[in-house]
Amino acid sequence: MIELLGVTKRFGEETAVDAISLTVEKGELCALVGTSGCGKSTTLRMINRLIEHDGGEIHIDGQPIREFDGRLLRRRIGYAIQSTGLFPHWTVARNIGLVPRLLKWPKARVRARVEELMALLGLPVEQFADKYPEQLSGGQAQRVGVARALAADPDILLMDEPFGALDPITRETLQVELRELQARLHKTIVFVTHDMDEALALADRLAVMRAGRIVQQGTPLALLREPADDFVASLLGGDERGLKEAAITRVGERMLPLSPRLLPQARVHRDATLRQALSVMFREHADRLAVVDDEAMAVGELSLRRLVGAGRDE
Amino acid sequence: MTRRDALPVNRVVPALSLAAAAAWLALASVSVAPNRIVPGTAYAASELLGWPLAGVACLPLLGLAALAWRPHRGRLRLALALNLLLLMALPAWVALAGALRLDPDQPQARLGLGPAVWLLLFCLVLLTIELRTRLALPAWSGWLLPVPILGAWVLAAPWLGSLALWQEYRGRSGQFAEALLDHLLLVGSAVGASLVLGAAIALAMRRDARLERLGFTLLNFLQTIPSLALFGLLLAPLAWLSARLDWLAALGVSGIGWAPAFLALLGYSLLPMVRNTFVALAEVDPGVLESARGMGMGPGQVFWQVRLPLALPVVLEGVRITTVQAIGLTAVAALIGAGGLGTFIFQGLGQAAMDLVLLGALPILAMALVADALLGALTRRLDHRTALRQGVTP
Repeated sequence: MIELLGVTKRFGEETAVDAISLTVEKGELCALVGTSGCGKSTTLRMINRLIEHDGGEIHIDGQPIREFDGRLLRRRIGYAIQSTGLFPHWTVARNIGLVPRLLKWPKARVRARVEELMALLGLPVEQFADKYPEQLSGGQAQRVGVARALAADPDILLMDEPFGALDPITRETLQVELRELQARLHKTIVFVTHDMDEALALADRLAVMRAGRIVQQGTPLALLREPADDFVASLLGGDERGLKEAAITRVGERMLPLSPRLLPQARVHRDATLRQALSVMFREHADRLAVVDDEAMAVGELSLRRLVGAGRDE
Repeated sequence: MTRRDALPVNRVVPALSLAAAAAWLALASVSVAPNRIVPGTAYAASELLGWPLAGVACLPLLGLAALAWRPHRGRLRLALALNLLLLMALPAWVALAGALRLDPDQPQARLGLGPAVWLLLFCLVLLTIELRTRLALPAWSGWLLPVPILGAWVLAAPWLGSLALWQEYRGRSGQFAEALLDHLLLVGSAVGASLVLGAAIALAMRRDARLERLGFTLLNFLQTIPSLALFGLLLAPLAWLSARLDWLAALGVSGIGWAPAFLALLGYSLLPMVRNTFVALAEVDPGVLESARGMGMGPGQVFWQVRLPLALPVVLEGVRITTVQAIGLTAVAALIGAGGLGTFIFQGLGQAAMDLVLLGALPILAMALVADALLGALTRRLDHRTALRQGVTP
């Protein structure tokens, strides 16, 4: 668990982070979002003491982080930034094994852990272990970055726009992978991004920052439904907020069981988002969809009225 | 011949071979002088062999041009072999020319190398480089190819006793060894000291922006002083110091000799060394350093394991530039009695004995080339990207 209590950071005259308080529960993914220069990266880097906070307190599992040695603290906290963070003169395996080696693990254990992580992140050892970062694609490099951050099995993971430099398709793939990884590992993750869709897709909790302050925090749905002010509303997409909400709600949550009525031709998967369902309706000129499961068996139906949440079907 | 082996029309090789052939026919190959003082008589190949034979002798060069005109790998390999043979045969030609024109009754007679020989050497070396590039031969071939050539030259040496260069050397072999050693010591100590001092200055400059401006201004200013003037400027203060301080005098420090030469060389070496070290350390990707710290590396670990290895190729590039520059500058240091190969150059200039000048200049040239090649190879070896390009996993 990470607690920020009235944390402040000043750079000279300028207050970069202004008395913010935030709690990230164990196993929770908290996304810090906001425009450039709002202090979100500074906040992240104060948690592992890359930057020291001037006021307030930061606690990890109840202990103030000032009580730890900065270096030892950072070895306990995974840290992933844009792919530039990999050491270009080290192989993939050596990059991933960095923190375990700093922690003086025995060689065999480091090697075993590196291989375990490469398997976890879908990087075949024989193919990638001896490659250099420059030989990797953006997505592969980022997987290595995440593997390196996870190497010493830290409870906490800090990620600073880790997918920022990737193309949209790779970014989406990695977001899905991160979500699956998180479902298995239950790390406490603080994730900085300026991409609201990414934040909505990944976060259990959102904290919107502006000019060094947290303007609003809560679950993605809560923020989408009741933005605190116009700034949050516009950051969340203004009038497109409805579509963003549709994009994080599953068809399975809104569908109705099969009725005796004839099933429509147009169909959508149960795990698809409402946004995708809406898109199918738009494309097929249909106001009713059959909901199917993995075996393409119909398991329910979804009407436009039901999709937009305007009450039950008659 | 497969299509894969066919290469685009090559104009460089024919142009160089034809230039070499023209030099061979038109210019003097050797000059013969009865003694050291009298200027020699120059002889072109046609005068030595007669036109028909001289014409026949350029056929290999024309062959080279023909082989490369519509090249494929097989022909280029043949051209490279032919080219190497010609390089190996060059001293034999000089020996033959000597045998044709030297009077056995005149043991003092000297054989000088004519412009044709130098131009042939120049063109043939360029041809080797060009053919090597075209054939995309691996890096080690650069070390292997000179071996048979140098071997052939050494084998031809017994027949080249009357070569003026050799005679100049024979009269001064002891002096030559001493000068070579002095030269190497001066270069080595100046480069070594400038590496240590330069690294220290670069590190200090990284800590303080004011120091950075001051440092670069000073070093740039130092670089603009002509070398001779710097030697002159150091003369008075060093003489004064050694007169005041006995221990300095005991070390051999005085207004002339190795001390001012060393200091001047150090001064000139500092700029490229400091600049490269500074830029190399500053240009390491901040994202990499940030993540190194973020992973929990201490400042020492970040410097030694990340910053320095990533900066090293550029630092070594500075060492290479500095070394090559110092090898040349040390020649001038001979003027203030620092010894070295420059001694022969200035003696030769004074006596209008060009062969003596060559005795000083050629080893300096060779030294610079070897230093350049060795340090270049070391830089490539230490650069992880070399391994990338060659697909080698270390």
